[in-house]
Amino acid sequence: MILIKKPAATGGMKMNTSERVFYVLKKNLNKQETIALNSHLKRDLMIDSLDTLLIISALENEFSIQINEEDFKDIETVHDIIFKLETYIKEI
Amino acid sequence: MFSNHFYERFNVDERITEQIGFNPYNLNIGSGLNEKIYIEGQPMIDLASNNYLGLATDQRVKKSVISAVNQYGVSLCGTPIATGSIDIYKRIESKLSQFIGLEETVLFPSCYQANNGLFASIATKEDLIIVDRLAHSSLIQGIQAVGCKIKPFIHNDLKNLKDNLKQSHHYKQVFVVTESVFSTTGDITPFKEITALCHQYNALPIVDDSHGIGVLGKSGKGILEEQNITDYKGIYTASLGKAFANAGGMISGERKIIDYLKYYCPHLVYSTTLTPGTLAGIEAVLEIIGSEFGKIKKKLYRNKKIILESLQSLEWDISSSRTPINSIKTKSRENTIQLAKKMYNNGIFSTPFIEPSVPVNEGCIRLIAGAHLSESVLIKTGEILKRIKNT
Repeated sequence: MILIKKPAATGGMKMNTSERVFYVLKKNLNKQETIALNSHLKRDLMIDSLDTLLIISALENEFSIQINEEDFKDIETVHDIIFKLETYIKEI
Repeated sequence: MFSNHFYERFNVDERITEQIGFNPYNLNIGSGLNEKIYIEGQPMIDLASNNYLGLATDQRVKKSVISAVNQYGVSLCGTPIATGSIDIYKRIESKLSQFIGLEETVLFPSCYQANNGLFASIATKEDLIIVDRLAHSSLIQGIQAVGCKIKPFIHNDLKNLKDNLKQSHHYKQVFVVTESVFSTTGDITPFKEITALCHQYNALPIVDDSHGIGVLGKSGKGILEEQNITDYKGIYTASLGKAFANAGGMISGERKIIDYLKYYCPHLVYSTTLTPGTLAGIEAVLEIIGSEFGKIKKKLYRNKKIILESLQSLEWDISSSRTPINSIKTKSRENTIQLAKKMYNNGIFSTPFIEPSVPVNEGCIRLIAGAHLSESVLIKTGEILKRIKNT
């Protein structure tokens, strides 16, 4: 089930999906690397399996949705996350 | 052929250790954990083991172990549930419960087994487990075995934990899991606040106090004493192979859940019980902590301070910690193994942590100076650290 409410972590600031994903990644990952649209999660941001769960959890909180982890298992880049989330949102 | 393919994939990646010319793992120790230890035949200063109180070679503990071996032999060759346990076993469970201030305790062959077995016994697929991002592998693997929803929260971040708890109402049961003292950095969790949040959101707190028991608190009783948590209703686990200088693990909490684990936790039910020698060793350590903790703690923290001041004066990048753990941030795997090698070559035995024990590029070198190390040895350690830093 997907339910979109007001943004949580962004505190209601007017941001689009892409900006909110960047916000969530920067806030939740203690990484010094620059986060870009084409950043590869494993190779560039060195994200491991627990980080992935942490991001999914943060996205769930930010977008007030429940994410099936299976849907995110093929995600490789930041762009993939945004694309997947937009698909989720369109499904409402 | 099946067997060829099968065995071909079991390769240990030794590229870094080969490149650096040093493998810090599985080394051969040729002595007990005395002030000077012998590794691969070389004398070293032990800043690697978790022998916080320096009791691993204490004469009184050794005497107690020998006496138990003389009375009961070396093993009970069976599981507690099937073939029974000796009087010391029940006595220690009771003494440990009183020590930390919880109703009941069950002993495990290791804390790894305790942490691994706990979640499979108490959680279901319909539950949510919220766990600190830096929690120990034994907890993470135990949690993953349940197959339930897992939400890691940012390390020691109460706001992030609260955000996750706010979204937890869909789940049948909610658990919040953390460690008291994080083993690689030495920082302490704000557990009192975590238990309050759990109470607010109807979640059950679980804490692993492996680096806290025998170290934290006025009497060494661990995180609950340290943070003055008097009405703890959650679950508590700890290792008896660190400050307690023996082996084994424990789970404590309400009698009902502990009794359940004694019958239904497979990691306990199907494991050979702790040996009489180990049980007697734990009991002897408990007695020493009961009578001498204040004196030992002073030495432990003096030793931590000497190492810390040395690292600070040399401007190493270190994690700040109020516990006896000193931790140098080395980040990459290469830097971590390289520094461990330099220390080893200069007579300091340290613990390097690289992924997957820590997140990628968050490697570190841990230094623990047990209470048994003398001031002169630690001053010498400071000189060695200075030499290493300047080369």
